[in-house]
Amino acid sequence: MNFKTILVAALVLGCTVLPVAAVFLYENYRTRDLTADIIARAPERGNFSPQKLTVPAGKEVKLRILNNDTVVHGFAIPALGIDAGEIKAGHVVFLTFTPNRPGAFDFYCTRWCSEFHLQMRGVLEVSGP
Amino acid sequence: MTTETQEPQEKKPKLLGLIPLDWRLDLTAIKPIRRLFKSRWFPLLAIMVNLFIFVIILLSGIVGGLSSGNYSFGIMFVWILWWVLLMMLLVPGLSRTWCMVCPLPTVGEWLQRLRILGVGEGGLGMNWKWPRRLSNMWLMNILFLATTFFSGFFTVKPLATFILLGGIIVLAIILSLLFEKRSFCLYVCPVSGFQGLYANMAMTEIRVKDPEICRKHKIKTCEVGNKNGYGCPWLLKPHELNRNTYCGMCLECFKTCPFDNMAMKVRPPGTDLLVNSKRGLDEAWKGFIMLGIAVMFYVAMMGRWGFLKDWVRAETLEGWLKFAGIHAVMNLLLIPAVFFVFALLSKLASGARETSLRSVFVNLSYSLIPMGLAAWVAFSFGFLLPNGSYLLHVVSDPFAWGWDLFGTAGFPWTPVLTAWLVPLQFVSLFAGYLVSLDYGYKLACQTYIDKAAAIRGFLPLLAFLTLVVIFFGWLYGG
Repeated sequence: MNFKTILVAALVLGCTVLPVAAVFLYENYRTRDLTADIIARAPERGNFSPQKLTVPAGKEVKLRILNNDTVVHGFAIPALGIDAGEIKAGHVVFLTFTPNRPGAFDFYCTRWCSEFHLQMRGVLEVSGP
Repeated sequence: MTTETQEPQEKKPKLLGLIPLDWRLDLTAIKPIRRLFKSRWFPLLAIMVNLFIFVIILLSGIVGGLSSGNYSFGIMFVWILWWVLLMMLLVPGLSRTWCMVCPLPTVGEWLQRLRILGVGEGGLGMNWKWPRRLSNMWLMNILFLATTFFSGFFTVKPLATFILLGGIIVLAIILSLLFEKRSFCLYVCPVSGFQGLYANMAMTEIRVKDPEICRKHKIKTCEVGNKNGYGCPWLLKPHELNRNTYCGMCLECFKTCPFDNMAMKVRPPGTDLLVNSKRGLDEAWKGFIMLGIAVMFYVAMMGRWGFLKDWVRAETLEGWLKFAGIHAVMNLLLIPAVFFVFALLSKLASGARETSLRSVFVNLSYSLIPMGLAAWVAFSFGFLLPNGSYLLHVVSDPFAWGWDLFGTAGFPWTPVLTAWLVPLQFVSLFAGYLVSLDYGYKLACQTYIDKAAAIRGFLPLLAFLTLVVIFFGWLYGG
């Protein structure tokens, strides 16, 4: 194989396979300390996913809320004093907190996102030590 | 004493009475451009860059923000950036430059040649000839129209854009392995047909410099290829090229010509409209379809009729079927039928019995191209100005994973110059109208036997074009 052939092959890989690999490697690196992803969609389109999450008490929790929907959502766990505020369609919010007491804490969408908005909720279970 | 009598010189035709239609400026006389065009690395490197962007587009279609179109890299880059660039800059300015750098048929072509950079014999595939009956724009007309039936998904659902682009790539690979050279691009690609037709309006062209050199050159290396490049992949005779329509600007003829006799020239827009070669009903229908789709896209995406939006987005199957039916009938029958009436009136008004109605219909239909392109430019303003700012977000966060690569992920939606939207649309439409009238008159002169007949025959076309511009003016700004 001559130099030109190797260069062209490298360019083709650099434009196709390499970016895909780089995207996932970078994403894995960024999310290495993430506890969970929560996808936010209106109830008729899938609701919060997952709707139930279990984390240990006393340990830092890092959540990524992804609004993959076409409308604005919110995210709050009132019992823990957490409120991400408004999350626009296509936007992403990171939340970091440490739940110190065990229990089941409801999380809610805080924006009127659809006629089924009141059903847009889930539970964060904090297990004891 | 002698008196000299001079024959009155025939006036050179001019665009809008201003620019001589035979004016040309050879861009490839500039040495770096010529060297670039003759290099085998070009347009390969540009295709590679595009391939990289398309890989990201495809990836964004299947991961990340699956529902929110305005924050999808794929949707924003394809339907805002690419479409707007294509309609507002590339096609009107640089002809089919997109085809030069298009990554969609690239893999198919590489497999066909079993080479990426070099030149050589052999390769994969059956190398069949494309069927003669399908060697026209009809298949592209139908495929492009059929694609627009699903426009309510492509601009909203990232996955739909992934399926469309992925489907085109797979089809291009399959057809490249079955049929010779760029048969897919010439006869199937839905994007190719309208680019070809509107490239008649482009301000650039690839042509030979001196036809005499080609005439004396017995081995037409631009057709058959040589060690420097492949014979025209678009199955053309570059030495006879006189229209942009079917030239994909791959630049192989620059590489294969031993006399450096190919040139890329700047010219007045639209001169190809007057070239009477390969004109036909397929191209006429392409013009009608493009005009109809411009109307439908505006109505569906920016119009004020909510029920039509529901139809296009397939809120119910019945509604979508109504939309598809009405859209097909409007494009394939209604617009051509209305134009036919005006073509008939033109023939009757001209009094030219020896001119066939078919040639009146076909020839005059080319006057719709400037108007159609202007309608698309005007439509594109309606996309670009309000929605262009989304590009800054998606370029930083292409998969809606919360990335911020360039620090612009938090850039808010910012409409730009929207107060100027309608004036800009009106200027575009009016410019297209004027150029359509100008070429319409010239086409009438080409069609009818004498000037008086041409003037009479032009009047119904004038009426038709005026109605079209008033309709678009009402639609966009009314």
